[in-house]
Amino acid sequence: MTLAQLGFLVVATLTLAGALAAVTLRNLTHAVLSLILFFFGVAGLFFLLRADFIGVVQILIYVGAIAVLIVFAIVLTRQRIGLEDFKQIGGAWWMGAFTAALVGGILIEIIRHSPEVAIFKVRSPVGSVQEIGQALMTDYVLPFEIISILLTAALIGAVVIAMEEIQNPRKEKR
Amino acid sequence: MVPLTAYLVLSAILFAIGLWGALTRKNAILVLVSIEIMINAASLNFIAFWCYGKFTDISAQLFVLFGIAIAGAEAAVGLALVIAIFRFNKSVNVEEITSLKG
Repeated sequence: MTLAQLGFLVVATLTLAGALAAVTLRNLTHAVLSLILFFFGVAGLFFLLRADFIGVVQILIYVGAIAVLIVFAIVLTRQRIGLEDFKQIGGAWWMGAFTAALVGGILIEIIRHSPEVAIFKVRSPVGSVQEIGQALMTDYVLPFEIISILLTAALIGAVVIAMEEIQNPRKEKR
Repeated sequence: MVPLTAYLVLSAILFAIGLWGALTRKNAILVLVSIEIMINAASLNFIAFWCYGKFTDISAQLFVLFGIAIAGAEAAVGLALVIAIFRFNKSVNVEEITSLKG
């Protein structure tokens, strides 16, 4: 087993463990912390696939912003008990697992029966960010601008939705 | 050398795990967490094909970049909705949020 394969096995195991813990754990805070482990694992896989810029962006945005946002939302929605449980209505737990296993199984079957067209090219890490910058400014400038509008709209929308209603006192008497 | 199918199978398994979490969790925040897991699995798939493919352009990394940005916007708005619903219902249990009133 080469070092690359060993590295892939370690990072993939960490990622799988983080994802399984994030969907299984009963404690809310532990689930979010294992989600952070999952994000780091995915960033490690991006580094193994020589996508350095995307790996760093993954850590910066997912761990640095989205995970922190989730922790803040947990703080702001504290219920009496901090624990939560699986769905208990009927056989919903098994139906969810069956659906997920069906989707995963179909995907894996498609992967196994597709022709092997993979060619591993050694990509130089130097030109990576430059290529992304050039593509963003030439071929993909329209999605770039639309993404900025989308992010502005999401920012304003999130603030408006989560804002307290202070100018309509009749609503608080419910 | 790690085969491409290893990355694809890993991405499929992560997607299935995220789907299980999104269908099963009772807390609305953990449903959003599971959706983030699914988006990350799809991004992993993109980058695996970029690394192992025959094509030389950078489109897959841009797809993933825009996907991360959209996931961030969706997480922000989704969590704002969860906070607003909690303020009204005093609970983030998806089984107890049954009416659109308010």
